[in-house]
Amino acid sequence: MRNYLPKLKSLLLAMVLTISSIAFANAQSRTLTGTVLDASFGDPVPGATVLIKGTTRGTATDLDGKFSLPLQAGDQILVVSFVGYLTQEIEIGNQSSITINLEEDIQSLQEAVVIGYGSQDKKEITSAVVGVKPEDFNRGNVTNPAQLLQGKVAGLSITRPGGNPNNGFNVRLRGLSTFGANSSPLIVLDGVIGASLENVDPNDIQSIDVLKDGSAAAIYGARGSSGVILITTTRQGKKDGTTNVNINSFATLDQATNLIPILSPEEFVARGGTDFGSRTDWRDELIDDALSFTTNASVSGSFNNTSYMASVNYRDNNGIVNGVGNERLNTRLNLSQGALNNRLRLNVNLSFTNEDRESINDAAFRYATIYNPTAPIFEDTEDALNRFGGYFQRDLFDFFNPVALANQQKFIRETKTSLVSYRAEFDILDNLTISAQYSQDRRNELDGNFWSLQDYQVGLGAVGSAERATFDRSQRIFESTLRYETDLSDKLNMTLLGGVGTQFTSNEGFRARTRQFLFDTGWNNLGAGAIRFGNNTNVSSFANEDQLNSVFGRANFNWDNMFFVSASVRAETYSGFGANNQTGYFPAFSVGSDFTQIFDMGVFSQFKPRVSYGVTGNLPPSPTLALGVFGNGNRIDLDGDPLTESDIFVGLNQFANPNRDLKWETKKEFNVGVDFGIWNGKVTGSVDYYTRNISDLLFNVPVAAGAPNPFDPGRFNTAGSTWVNLADLRAAGFEFVTTVNQVGKGMLKWTPTFNFTIYDKTTIESLSNGELGFEELRFATPGSPGQNNNPIIYNRVGQNLGDIYGPTVIGFTEAGEYILNTTDPNEWTRVGNGLPKGEFGFANSFSYGAWSLNVFLRGAWGHDLYNSYRGFYENADTPSNTWNSVITDKTPTNPLVTSSPTMNNTVVEDASFIRLDNMELGYNIPTKSANLSSLRVYFAAQNLFTITGYTGIDPEVRTNDAENNDPFTSALSPGIERRNTYFQTRSFTLGVTVNFK
Amino acid sequence: MFKSVKKICLVLPVVFAMGACQELEQEVLDGVTADDIANSTNPNLIDVLKASAYSRIVGSWGGHNSIWSINEVASDELAIPQKGADWEDGGQWLRMHRHLWNPSEESFNNSWAYCYSAIGEINNLIIAYPDVTALTSELKVLRALIYMWLIDSFGNVPIIDENSTGGNPSNSSRAEVFSFIESSILDNIDALPEEGSKYYINYFTAKAMLARLYINAEIYTGTQRWADAEAAADEVINSGNYSLTSNFFANFGERNNGSTENILTLPYDQNNAGGFNLAQMTLHYLSQNTYNLQEQPWNGYASLEEFYNSFDDNDARKNSFLVGPQFSSDGSRLLDISVEPGDPDGEPLTFTPEINMLAPNAFRQAGVRVGKFEFASGAASSLNNDYPLFRLGEIILIKAEAALRQGKTADALAAVNQIRTRAGMPAYSSITLDELFDEIGREMFAEANRRTAQIRFGKWSQPWWEKDQSAAFRVLFPIPLNQINANPNLTQNPGY
Repeated sequence: MRNYLPKLKSLLLAMVLTISSIAFANAQSRTLTGTVLDASFGDPVPGATVLIKGTTRGTATDLDGKFSLPLQAGDQILVVSFVGYLTQEIEIGNQSSITINLEEDIQSLQEAVVIGYGSQDKKEITSAVVGVKPEDFNRGNVTNPAQLLQGKVAGLSITRPGGNPNNGFNVRLRGLSTFGANSSPLIVLDGVIGASLENVDPNDIQSIDVLKDGSAAAIYGARGSSGVILITTTRQGKKDGTTNVNINSFATLDQATNLIPILSPEEFVARGGTDFGSRTDWRDELIDDALSFTTNASVSGSFNNTSYMASVNYRDNNGIVNGVGNERLNTRLNLSQGALNNRLRLNVNLSFTNEDRESINDAAFRYATIYNPTAPIFEDTEDALNRFGGYFQRDLFDFFNPVALANQQKFIRETKTSLVSYRAEFDILDNLTISAQYSQDRRNELDGNFWSLQDYQVGLGAVGSAERATFDRSQRIFESTLRYETDLSDKLNMTLLGGVGTQFTSNEGFRARTRQFLFDTGWNNLGAGAIRFGNNTNVSSFANEDQLNSVFGRANFNWDNMFFVSASVRAETYSGFGANNQTGYFPAFSVGSDFTQIFDMGVFSQFKPRVSYGVTGNLPPSPTLALGVFGNGNRIDLDGDPLTESDIFVGLNQFANPNRDLKWETKKEFNVGVDFGIWNGKVTGSVDYYTRNISDLLFNVPVAAGAPNPFDPGRFNTAGSTWVNLADLRAAGFEFVTTVNQVGKGMLKWTPTFNFTIYDKTTIESLSNGELGFEELRFATPGSPGQNNNPIIYNRVGQNLGDIYGPTVIGFTEAGEYILNTTDPNEWTRVGNGLPKGEFGFANSFSYGAWSLNVFLRGAWGHDLYNSYRGFYENADTPSNTWNSVITDKTPTNPLVTSSPTMNNTVVEDASFIRLDNMELGYNIPTKSANLSSLRVYFAAQNLFTITGYTGIDPEVRTNDAENNDPFTSALSPGIERRNTYFQTRSFTLGVTVNFK
Repeated sequence: MFKSVKKICLVLPVVFAMGACQELEQEVLDGVTADDIANSTNPNLIDVLKASAYSRIVGSWGGHNSIWSINEVASDELAIPQKGADWEDGGQWLRMHRHLWNPSEESFNNSWAYCYSAIGEINNLIIAYPDVTALTSELKVLRALIYMWLIDSFGNVPIIDENSTGGNPSNSSRAEVFSFIESSILDNIDALPEEGSKYYINYFTAKAMLARLYINAEIYTGTQRWADAEAAADEVINSGNYSLTSNFFANFGERNNGSTENILTLPYDQNNAGGFNLAQMTLHYLSQNTYNLQEQPWNGYASLEEFYNSFDDNDARKNSFLVGPQFSSDGSRLLDISVEPGDPDGEPLTFTPEINMLAPNAFRQAGVRVGKFEFASGAASSLNNDYPLFRLGEIILIKAEAALRQGKTADALAAVNQIRTRAGMPAYSSITLDELFDEIGREMFAEANRRTAQIRFGKWSQPWWEKDQSAAFRVLFPIPLNQINANPNLTQNPGY
């Protein structure tokens, strides 16, 4: 075992002595004044050490970061250092006044990473955990915390196809880990497990940490299978004894981009389309540039044992279509108070969010693309005025005026979320801390849906229809932990954590819909709808509740900063499983060693191989699957006489087969990785390889209908499918990330960060459990017209998840008809796969004095998409002439295809892409004001360009099928771009950030 | 004070740790469990449970992709022509028409699951109330009715009754299924009431079931049971409980629950018991304006020209078709502005008996539509009309056929002429089996009867419009692939 540090130190000392003796010889006197600032925020850095290199002469900066230092002849280099910042050397030259921007020390050995139930020094981490700080976040109009991380973390896939401000992001860590609704990572917000992202505004986030592997996530047991994202909000001022006021305000302009080319009206008519005599660019009529505004204001401070952060965040985002909008007001208060010499620490976090969404029927995007371009928007006929409110409509199949559709249907959702959490920590001994945390996460949604009397699609037949619906969710968690830290010997440090927790979740909802109105009063007066039963009406409610109890423990060992070991286990008991299978155990183990502490590793300042293994679980989609609940059947009039009403009841039918053996899904993940630093942290990075096996997945499986139910002895199957644990999935991946810190010369600095993931796509090893199960699961039919029956995603045992199947076009007849290799779906072959082979992100941060420029490129490769516009609307067959046709670079034109649209390999396209996802140019305006610590203006652009061969709307990876609301089968049908996809948008943002002190 | 804080903090984790891994009770807040039902003393409960079992078969009987669909489209009555991409639907309905279907067709699996899910629920009820004989007897006959659909469509199906145990059942032979149905009816018929609502099985319903079972006995078992069929039919006819309605269409109207002819009906109701979607399935998109329908129809099911032509113009039952020019409810002519260039009638919507082709480019207007059931103005996608599973008209024709096949021509003529007279047609003075077959076709159009009759009269394998001679094994539908996958003990029907 060698350590080269002492040698280095003695060398340094020798140098210092030599230089200083030379310096003394040339003594001469003048004074240098200067200011030391934080390079990222422009705040003054008080208490920084300013030293003449090679001497012991120096000073410290005052509260305003200012210093004054007498110089002597021969003083050439100034050394400025402060804890947490990279030490900087500046040539003095002839300057008498100097400003020094200190960069934060990215590779600081003291850097803490948030892990479950605490934080750990980064050097001690032995599993795949990634921390992301605000300076690395995505720029521009970022409305959702997930968006901050898009492309930033290897293996974390965050997608939102199209530009709908109301759509959430699909988040997947290391691919699919379950079929169910929990395929997104667990969010832990300031220690609150399972909090919804609406509770936090991106502006209030101090750091995001991603627990990627099974061993890190295992401390969250049954909720950790899809990985864990820990979000920490700002909770204090930057420095003790100060107050910071921060105001950030920006405006964003959204434009539609990448519209699919379609036939001109003349071309459309020439192809046999009906000419209604007008010329309308439907997309132009539907969409418009949209302006959005955002303002964040926060005040934070720390005084002795009190620290706080209060913020208000207002976002008013408008879609590129009139009638699409999202207005959100978020308020947060984080308050910490220490008492008893700070041995007792109390924390309160309060967050309230109101969000108002307005949406249209997204089918308007489809009709705007393919509606007859010779039709007028309005027409002045009695029929049109009476029935359609003046809009042009025709009684054709699947043919709706897109402008009318967007205006005559209306959907709103008002969401109120509140998250309150209270936490107390008490140091019983210096090294023994007990904590208790109670949190309540509540969410209330109120929906209004409306179809005008004159809406041709639904409202006309229903004579107007309106609906109100509420959904309430409440999650209460109480957790308590005990933490003990001790040195077992002078080299071996041990930290023990034990805890218990219990979680209650309840969901309830109510829905009412009526129809047949005289006026378009909508959801504000459902009583004005005359018909309250039957088609296009609804009265219903639901409620459920479940409980999850947990016990967990973890032990960490650090041997002389050389070897690190972590072991944990969590036991969880869930009310919704079968009585014999309620409790599951989720262990994890990981070990790592920093070789640079053992060997002389040359240029490596860190080389830490680590190995980890962990087991995580997953909760079922409903807590009552084990029980076989009877649902509502038809309304039954016992005597058949409608005049007597006392004998009318709702029937009882068991629409689901109970499974009393239902148990946890388990995911076992093995991870091996290396964290490295080269040239004293100039280059840092990590490499990871993982394999994961997922088994006992919860899935609704066809069973022999009517047969004795093996999972409910003595009774019979009353449905054709049962929820059981089945299937084995295997996946693996390789992840790489590296950062070069501050390359450059003089004031120009460039920090590139590059990450990529190569997926060994999920393989389906089995889809069965004993006799139950499948050899394959087919999902996702392209849709109406005519493509309702043959699903195109085949999930076959032994193959990759999400394979797209279809017949192959081997040629065309002279008349332009397809010659397909087969018409039998059983003989179709694999023509693509919807999941990517890899994803990458390339962040570039430039700074030049007060200027900064961030450029972020992101992409994915090796995934295919079914282009549904081409799948339905590119052929020139006569019956398709009702609709306009798309004509893309890939549309066959010689000959034009005259067959009816049908699934084939040519409409499945490679959708690999590189996108300039976001860039931001910022300028710190120098200020001399005593109250203003920084003033920054910035200009950002999002989705500036995309390089791709894909001819659809958006080559973004589709992890789910947007038209399938069943999360189980939706996750098994990736790779489909539906016709209702909201158009892509490009955004330009202009903003200003002001910091007061 | 500080000490007490310490204590609370220390005590809480211990309490939780003790409770943490105890078994948790899962509450059900918005439904009931089998235990709740068993513990209930509500006097209406058993009646509601019985009706709930019946409502299982109300379900999707009259919808698209149903057991009705496969029986109708595979017969020579109805087809679903493909109009460009529309109704291509993977070729399922073309294969159905041409007798080239696969075991993987979705509609087969739907039909099977529809039958057996109801059987599972019935068996659970019989187990839950073993001592309530009135209930269990009726449920066993109801189960037999479901087995009548299964034996007819799939043949060799597993018999699952309340005594079945173990895991996945295996097939029984068609003859065994026949015996099971027969004994289920005979063992329980005397416990059934002689009268009652048309929505429930009574003694005469059970007799009507026997009549239909016996008339097909030769197909199902190889043994003729003509006399038994006739006797069962006679008992229904002579019960005095039922009579032919003078207006044939009274049995199919929107308010047909007063029909004296219907014996057992499915009580469809647009508000309370949905699933009968015939208007959507057959009508043209524009027909929404004829009936002011709440939703645009799908333009699917149309009748074959040859079948339509088997109706005499004077036959009142020819109004079972919607044919010719179509009008809006305000009397104006409906115009299909996107009509295909080759359509002989051009824009004005006209249902022509001739269909230019089955696929791929059938004209959207081509084909006469099913008009046997009244489509009420303002109808929802689910109709209000009760669907007759058994009606006297059918029983009289069973009587006629059974008599004719036994050589009792006079009895046969007497019976068949009742039917002809009601339809405004001259009485037959002599009759052949082929004539009787046609008469059954005209009477029972769109009542899921045609396929069974075609098989019984040896017409099934013959070629017809857009369909070649079919293989002999096609008299049975295949056991659905999904069911074989879910139950390895099932054996596929021969030929598939």
